[in-house]
Amino acid sequence: MNPEPFLQLDRVIHEKGRLAMMSMLAASPRLSFTELRDALAMTDGNITAHARTLQEAGYIAVTKVFQAGRPLTTFSLTESGRAAFAGYVRLLERIVDQTRGQV
Amino acid sequence: MDSQQATRHLEAIRTLMERAALYRRALAPVTLLTGTLGCLAGALGWIADLSEPRTFGWYWMGVAGVGLVAALVLIRRQALREREPFWSPPTRRVGQALLPPLVAGGMAGLLAVWPDWRDPLQMWWLPAIWMVIYGCALHAAGFFMNRGIAWLGWVFLLAGCACLWVLNERSYASGMPSLRHAHGLMALVFGGVHLAYGVYLHLTESRADAS
Repeated sequence: MNPEPFLQLDRVIHEKGRLAMMSMLAASPRLSFTELRDALAMTDGNITAHARTLQEAGYIAVTKVFQAGRPLTTFSLTESGRAAFAGYVRLLERIVDQTRGQV
Repeated sequence: MDSQQATRHLEAIRTLMERAALYRRALAPVTLLTGTLGCLAGALGWIADLSEPRTFGWYWMGVAGVGLVAALVLIRRQALREREPFWSPPTRRVGQALLPPLVAGGMAGLLAVWPDWRDPLQMWWLPAIWMVIYGCALHAAGFFMNRGIAWLGWVFLLAGCACLWVLNERSYASGMPSLRHAHGLMALVFGGVHLAYGVYLHLTESRADAS
């Protein structure tokens, strides 16, 4: 098996929690902190830590506003985040196709 | 990473993307609006004593039409404010789920008002049938929405079944009261239930959105 596609997998996205966040954000223009936390059953600390990593990689944008006097944090994919996620999915598909070809 | 792991990853991605595609726009404004409209229309029907059978049918089909248009306007405003497309994929799914039962409800109404004359007794079946059909519509839409919409569908469905049971028991035994009371029933179920659910959503949506 050619290990090249696996080595090319984006390590930032490949982590389970971050992959889940990226997947949800890829299907929705914007998601709030609580929507992500509740949908993924993750703790506040996990979401915050993964969001920071993804933001530092330039994959997500974080917006903080006040709604009815309470802070509202929302996340959305950046253009480079969307491209990186699409590339990650393509690589997974290549790994599947490559193994199928060997069978 | 082997093929099986990659396949599992792709499946997980697909599941998560589908979950994210659930309808997420705030439902409280829509349910509060439809609930208020239902209560006001019921009160007006009662006060104006619109108890002629065909008038009753046309009146409530008109109210349903106004409610539908007002809900669509509200949803469009929400979409514009969020800079999202109005006819987004989740909205389309919800619309497709609602359409067949709503068409059936419209047809039931038209069949009830079409002839020149209708017995008030027969017209009493219409609110119950509408409740059942509307309950089915909400339950179908609940597959693409959260916030307990499917349960709300069950409330309408069970209310409609209870009405059908009472109608069946009572209509043959002692007849039904004036259709004026049917306006009260419509206000209670379509107005009251929407209003109560809207208040619940309003309180919980504000709490859930803040983080």
